[in-house]
Amino acid sequence: MSVHSQIRKMLGKDALEVSSPRKERLFIRIAREKLRKTIKKLIQLEGHSHLSTITGVDTGTDIDLIYHLSHSDALISMSVRTPKEDLTVPTIVDLVPGATLYEREVHDLLGVIFKGNPDLSPLLLPDLWPDDIHPLRKEWTLERISEKMRGK
Amino acid sequence: MATIRIPFGPQHPALEEPINFTFEVEEERVVSVGLRLGYIHRGIEKLAESRTYLQNVYLAERICGICAFAHTTCYTQAVEELFGIEVPERAKFIRTIVAEMERIQNHYLWLGLTAKEMGFETLFMYAWRDRETMLEVVELISGKRVNYGLNTIGGVRRDISNAMIEGIEAKLDELEERAEYYKRICTKEQTILKRTVGVGILRRREAVSLCAVGPTARASGIPRDVRSDDRYAAYGEVPFKAVTYSGCDVASRILVRIDEILVSIEIIRYALKNLPIGPLNVKVPRRVPEGEAISLVEAPRGEDLHYVRSDGSDKPARLKVRAPTLANLPSLCKMLINVNIADIPVVIAGIDPCIACAERVTMIDVKSKKRRVWSGRELRRYALEWYQER
Repeated sequence: MSVHSQIRKMLGKDALEVSSPRKERLFIRIAREKLRKTIKKLIQLEGHSHLSTITGVDTGTDIDLIYHLSHSDALISMSVRTPKEDLTVPTIVDLVPGATLYEREVHDLLGVIFKGNPDLSPLLLPDLWPDDIHPLRKEWTLERISEKMRGK
Repeated sequence: MATIRIPFGPQHPALEEPINFTFEVEEERVVSVGLRLGYIHRGIEKLAESRTYLQNVYLAERICGICAFAHTTCYTQAVEELFGIEVPERAKFIRTIVAEMERIQNHYLWLGLTAKEMGFETLFMYAWRDRETMLEVVELISGKRVNYGLNTIGGVRRDISNAMIEGIEAKLDELEERAEYYKRICTKEQTILKRTVGVGILRRREAVSLCAVGPTARASGIPRDVRSDDRYAAYGEVPFKAVTYSGCDVASRILVRIDEILVSIEIIRYALKNLPIGPLNVKVPRRVPEGEAISLVEAPRGEDLHYVRSDGSDKPARLKVRAPTLANLPSLCKMLINVNIADIPVVIAGIDPCIACAERVTMIDVKSKKRRVWSGRELRRYALEWYQER
């Protein structure tokens, strides 16, 4: 059985959207509540061993978090959507220790709070960076960041 | 026992990726490692959202000076997938050839730096001299030693002519002989063995759970290599095998890279011999479809990932870049636990980050709160003296 059908079967109704533009790529969207449960299932798949990174995307009203998991047959990109008013998602560092820096990066740049991550201290932003500016958010244009940092 | 805290780094203006470590040490042993990045965070992902797809090729080229070609290949592949264009065969082969040349020059550069961290200055000079041979070839093809400007969306911008191939093959023979010589040195020379065997251990299962990539993972026995796992460019048509060693230490990381130089030379020879005839690039459609694409590339330091999302405009809605060094930092922190202070430089060099970032060192005695500031040079001198006394 190909990894695609294996995953579709395994996730069942938890997979809200599934697409595969080519056989080495698989995109799955799941609900935020199912994040840990799905990650647990995916890392137990035979041939899986690796989280490549976590990508955060600002869509305007929401933040998409995409977990890129390398499987020997395909790269699985599992995404969850979380509204900007409530940016709390559970951490996965206890399941995948390699996710530590990726969660800190997304926290810095997009302001997502990974509940349960023991260390969300700044990784990339300067020590004196204001708490409310998340530079990768669309509402923070380069001009606006520059004005705010100069105290205008 | 008094625990001492040692901040290590962060800045060095000469190379990219400055980094700051805070070590807690008990006598000579490191007991914990803290990490701080961002000293040269340039906001490239944000900047990419305000530039067109084509302009971003040149931005991607400037993410890293040493693996610039890996980044442009990764970026252009993602954009090509998004646009739905197929790159001509000849361009795929040229991408493969130049990518392997970049790997060879990177590995020679790294071998020299690691030798320098061990205090083996002769090997440093030798390795960097040999790196020049590779850079001359790259210059012959692209006109430049770094940031080749070779990749573009839809293919490559310059050709490799038949007249060049003869010259390249002669240089490859030279580089192969040198790599075999270094392999003999690195498996027999006592000074190297004493400084590297059993130093900076990263066990296989640790490398798996910490998501290590590239030569760092392969030196812990994991046969993970994007070139064979997610065949891009011409890697599907070129026979080769990923190099692994199971020593899990700095010595294995050296041997993996020297063997990779030899494998890369074979790949280049094969690709030059079988270089298909045809155009170098294809025309790119003027309309950008909505969608997302991910591209993976085996950069010299490991798996590189670019994610592009399009909203249909002429600029990407999001460009995400995950360079291999970030993926290897958790593994590096693990390797550093339990090493001697004197071994810190060589273990950090082992994952191939930008080592010159470790420009200065501050030592703090937690009890007396006294602070001593060390430069990287002083730490190296301390390390060498410490080893001489043993």
